[in-house]
Amino acid sequence: MADDDIVIEGASKHFASFVALRSIELRIGRGQFVLLAGANGAGKSTLLRLLAGISRPSSGRVLIAGQDPQRYAEARASIGLLSHHTLLYDDLSANENLTFFARLYALPDAAQRVEEALEQVGLTEQRHRRLRGFSRGMRQRLALARATLHRPTILLLDEPFTGLDQLACDALNERLRTLKTADCTCVMVTHRLQEAAELADRLVVLGKGRICHDEAWSGSPQALIDTCAPFLGAPR
Amino acid sequence: MSFWQRTLAILRKDLIAEWRTKERLSPMAFFSLLVLLVFNFSFELGGAALHEIGPGVLWSAFVFASLLGLSRSFADERENHSLDALLMAPGDRGAIYLGKMLGNLVSLLFIEVICLPFFALFFNLSPGFFLLPLLGVFVLGSACLSAAGTLFAAMSSTMRLRELLLPLLLLPMILPALISCVEATGLVLSNRFDANLFSHLKMLAVYAIVFVSLSLMLFEYAVEE
Repeated sequence: MADDDIVIEGASKHFASFVALRSIELRIGRGQFVLLAGANGAGKSTLLRLLAGISRPSSGRVLIAGQDPQRYAEARASIGLLSHHTLLYDDLSANENLTFFARLYALPDAAQRVEEALEQVGLTEQRHRRLRGFSRGMRQRLALARATLHRPTILLLDEPFTGLDQLACDALNERLRTLKTADCTCVMVTHRLQEAAELADRLVVLGKGRICHDEAWSGSPQALIDTCAPFLGAPR
Repeated sequence: MSFWQRTLAILRKDLIAEWRTKERLSPMAFFSLLVLLVFNFSFELGGAALHEIGPGVLWSAFVFASLLGLSRSFADERENHSLDALLMAPGDRGAIYLGKMLGNLVSLLFIEVICLPFFALFFNLSPGFFLLPLLGVFVLGSACLSAAGTLFAAMSSTMRLRELLLPLLLLPMILPALISCVEATGLVLSNRFDANLFSHLKMLAVYAIVFVSLSLMLFEYAVEE
């Protein structure tokens, strides 16, 4: 399975006596767009944190491009994370935020990358404004610029549409579509199945910390909602 | 990118944010000056009292002011979960600790430099070059406070009772360093630069080095949920 960007082998995660994930086995190929669905508390965000190398599994292992992201900086450098939290600093300007992350990732042409990233998300004119004055949509656009600044080959998305209006959702969708065509492996956790249906080519459903459904996906938004409904407890 | 460049990037980011908001410096300065002022009126200090309780008053003000600053040192990272982004960045995670620790050290030194003239004024201390070694005591003592404090601030930053936990964890741990700080400050104020003073300074240096080394190894486990 040389083409697998992400390999999870028997990964479990416990928080004291609470078991968040139980023996997860999952392989995600390069360029796949995986929709990770499940009810609240199913373990989706915990799984993303394991993939991002922020958290380590209690047992089993997670490999990113064949390496443990906890131990290998190269593995972490290939991952981007876009969450409903912006992971940015409110008292820095847009430009300062991106420049800071460019420094952390040791990007060779930092100033140019920051400029390009700001242009891609349409925030060039607001580059010197502090984030405290930004709207939710502007913050999320900047968060996307931060997540993709180092051109990751794997993008993890944790409820990226939360708090965005329809226009901002469409813009984010468009950007994700571009990343998908650029062969970026994406794992998205969202409850907004309507938006996700157009992007996903694989559906994985988590329930009580286990994978309870896994199939290749190419259906319509309604079909996706119908498929997920029994696992999410939503009415058909 | 080297470990030091990442450390400096984090330090720079923290200093810029602090300079703009003064979220930590304002309460720290206010609290320290208030402690000095209250003790000044309570004990009518000056003369012999300066040497007897002056060092204790000074370091009590610094320790409690540092607790105010340390409890806020991970607030920025908590607000938008930015710590996750720092942990995801490539490279040794010890750089996050060291950047934060240096930020706390700079804040504490800034407060100490502000407090010193007021301490001299309230406690009838004649200024002179003999006070220069006091800066050495301040640097080493603050390094000890910041080294231990940053690790415990990181550990308690994700906990619900973090404001309560930080002093409970930190104060017993810094007691040996605090005793040396008070003793060394007393010796400098008495103009006694003997072997006793240097043994206290050595103790502070060793404490800071040991705690920084330990924290560099333990930091990534401390911030894990």
